[in-house]
Amino acid sequence: MHRLFCVGLLGFAALSMAGTPIPEGPFENAACVSCHRQQNDGLVSAWQESAHATAETTVDCVSCHGNSHRNAAVRARRDSLCVDCHGGEDSPVVHSYATSKHGVLVRLEQEERDYNFPLQQANYRAPGCSYCHMHKANHNVSASIRVWNATEGVNSAERERVQDAMRAVCQDCHSPRYITRLFNNGENMLDIGRMKVREAAGVLEQAAHEFSAEDLAGARKHFMRMQSRHLKNLYLGIGHQSPDYQWWHGQPALDGDLLRIKGAVGDLYRLRASKNSRDGNKQ
Amino acid sequence: MSRKRVRYIWIPLLIAVIVVPAGFLYVDWNKSGSGAGLYSRQWLPDALFAYWNPDDFYQSVDTVSGVFEGKQCVSCHEGVTPGIVRDWKASHHSNPGNGKPAVYCSACHGDDHQALHLPTPDICGRCHVTQHVQFEDEKRFGFPSHALAMERAMDAKHFVDKPKAEVTACLQCHSVASKCDSCHTRHRFSAAEARRPEACITCHSGPPHPDDETYFTSAHGRLYLAENRQWDWSKPLRKGNYKGPTCAYCHMSNGKHQVADKSIWKFGIKQTNPLTSGNKVKREQWVELCSDCHEADWSRQQLAGLDAERKKAWKKLYRAEAVLKDLRAKDQLYPAAGERPAYPVDWLDSVRPRARIGFFEGQASAFYNVSPIERDYFEMWYFDNLGAYKGAAHGDQAAVSRGHAAMDSDLAGIEQEAKRLRSLAGQEGQEQYQRPDPSTLWLFGDYTEFNKGHN
Repeated sequence: MHRLFCVGLLGFAALSMAGTPIPEGPFENAACVSCHRQQNDGLVSAWQESAHATAETTVDCVSCHGNSHRNAAVRARRDSLCVDCHGGEDSPVVHSYATSKHGVLVRLEQEERDYNFPLQQANYRAPGCSYCHMHKANHNVSASIRVWNATEGVNSAERERVQDAMRAVCQDCHSPRYITRLFNNGENMLDIGRMKVREAAGVLEQAAHEFSAEDLAGARKHFMRMQSRHLKNLYLGIGHQSPDYQWWHGQPALDGDLLRIKGAVGDLYRLRASKNSRDGNKQ
Repeated sequence: MSRKRVRYIWIPLLIAVIVVPAGFLYVDWNKSGSGAGLYSRQWLPDALFAYWNPDDFYQSVDTVSGVFEGKQCVSCHEGVTPGIVRDWKASHHSNPGNGKPAVYCSACHGDDHQALHLPTPDICGRCHVTQHVQFEDEKRFGFPSHALAMERAMDAKHFVDKPKAEVTACLQCHSVASKCDSCHTRHRFSAAEARRPEACITCHSGPPHPDDETYFTSAHGRLYLAENRQWDWSKPLRKGNYKGPTCAYCHMSNGKHQVADKSIWKFGIKQTNPLTSGNKVKREQWVELCSDCHEADWSRQQLAGLDAERKKAWKKLYRAEAVLKDLRAKDQLYPAAGERPAYPVDWLDSVRPRARIGFFEGQASAFYNVSPIERDYFEMWYFDNLGAYKGAAHGDQAAVSRGHAAMDSDLAGIEQEAKRLRSLAGQEGQEQYQRPDPSTLWLFGDYTEFNKGHN
């Protein structure tokens, strides 16, 4: 009886949908939201939780899908759409992906790629941006992204949540053991990068007791670059599996920053000793 | 007299009988540790190494037991990991044609689920004999090399010295020696894919080897970008099949699985004599290859242009090296070698500390734990010089100019900094005040201390 009822309900839904032809558009974003809130369970609320919805400039339905139903899904699944907003071809976030094996395969096969399939079940040979970040049409793009934090690791609950979300994606193609090892290695690799940043921060903190902000300006400039560029490169290299971002744009670049900060601070001690000696001689 | 000579023959004999085998045994003993390579006793692998260097580190999963036939693998993995099955189904292995039987999972991974292996070049080579023999034969050309890449990585002193989670990034690229899927990605293993220049860029990009940028900017690369959609990538890399050259067309001409057989300037890392008899043979090989499209004279001019570019670059690099060696000789580096963590994997360095300058002293392993001026030279040598070389080799003149302008500015910076260091050291010597000891700054800290104990 219960089953019959379900079948009946589904049939009714199908009939009523067939009965009302889906309008092609154009639509305002508000119209998309109000209709899809009913049509797709959780889709709109997932988007509202995402960084796209909370960003200063909101990335809404129309931004990715266009204002018409025609080709709406296909349009939004293409990498090129994401690239435009995420800094263009040369930005680290895009370039780290483009040089990964995933990125290379997508680029090589984009001509023959059929974007009509849902983002799941390895429907695509290699994952584009949307395959991982919007897997199974999860409109919360932040779900599988670790919160970016330059100095401290994330707490274990956050880590588990993100790893579960990522595992669900990676396992379409990769074995569970490989995924676990990649995660562990990535965590450790990033922690090592953070150690370098903390070491540099420690040097600067100590020096701040003895030298003026003006004296330390040079070292601080290196520190800013270390934290906001090179550590971030490492993070992107791990996330996108780009060896070049993990290494040349990441770890050795951090090494260079660290030793230049030490060099600059060491110089200040040295110059002070020299100045004190000269002052002493004068007296 | 002659009797006396005979009496002393036991010395070389003893050396031959004891010392030489002992030397071999010592090297073998060093290689038998928990890691791999020359310094294997000094490090433990990260769990992920299993996938980059399966020969040394892979152990089978033991979650499933049983012996399976290929078809059974496929039917189960269609549910477990659908992507790889889909990929395999689209591959030559699944449909070899000409009535040949399909190559199933078990052919490469084994059929016992408790004793699976990851396919190494040896396993692929069971069927792909020619390619495997060519690939292995590349080793005789020495560095730079695909076939030697894993050894080069694991025997590098900074690899041994640094925490293994940090240097995993090295192995991902250097695994080109241990796995064929660096270029023929799993589980499609396509020759056509490996012929595309993009197949190389995951590793051949970034500051020391901007092969991607320099190629794509060159006339060859622009031709590729504009017209590659019309090219038939199923064709072998032979004259007449492609309108313009790609990485593989030149570096693996006729599909020969070697990239090092024609290398003359050795990646730009060290100075070479490009006119040795061996290099003259290589030059003629290049001229012949270029003759697929260009006249021989034109090609020879290009090679001579590269010789000139390298000569110019090394003049600048040696000037910078001389400045650094002078600072070292006068003990004017700050911190001095003994005031910073020791040179990696060198016990002698803790007894007699010495800064390493230039290729032959191993400066490639000294890009951290060094004073800023030494790092400046490392960047000049490793980034700006190699960038200029890649530009010259690939025909990207803008990259050559950029690289040389950067080297000029590096050299000026190094000379200026050296002057400053000399004057500071001079003052400290004359006025006899206490030179501040930099070792507290350089020997401690989160990373520096962690690095001491995590090999």
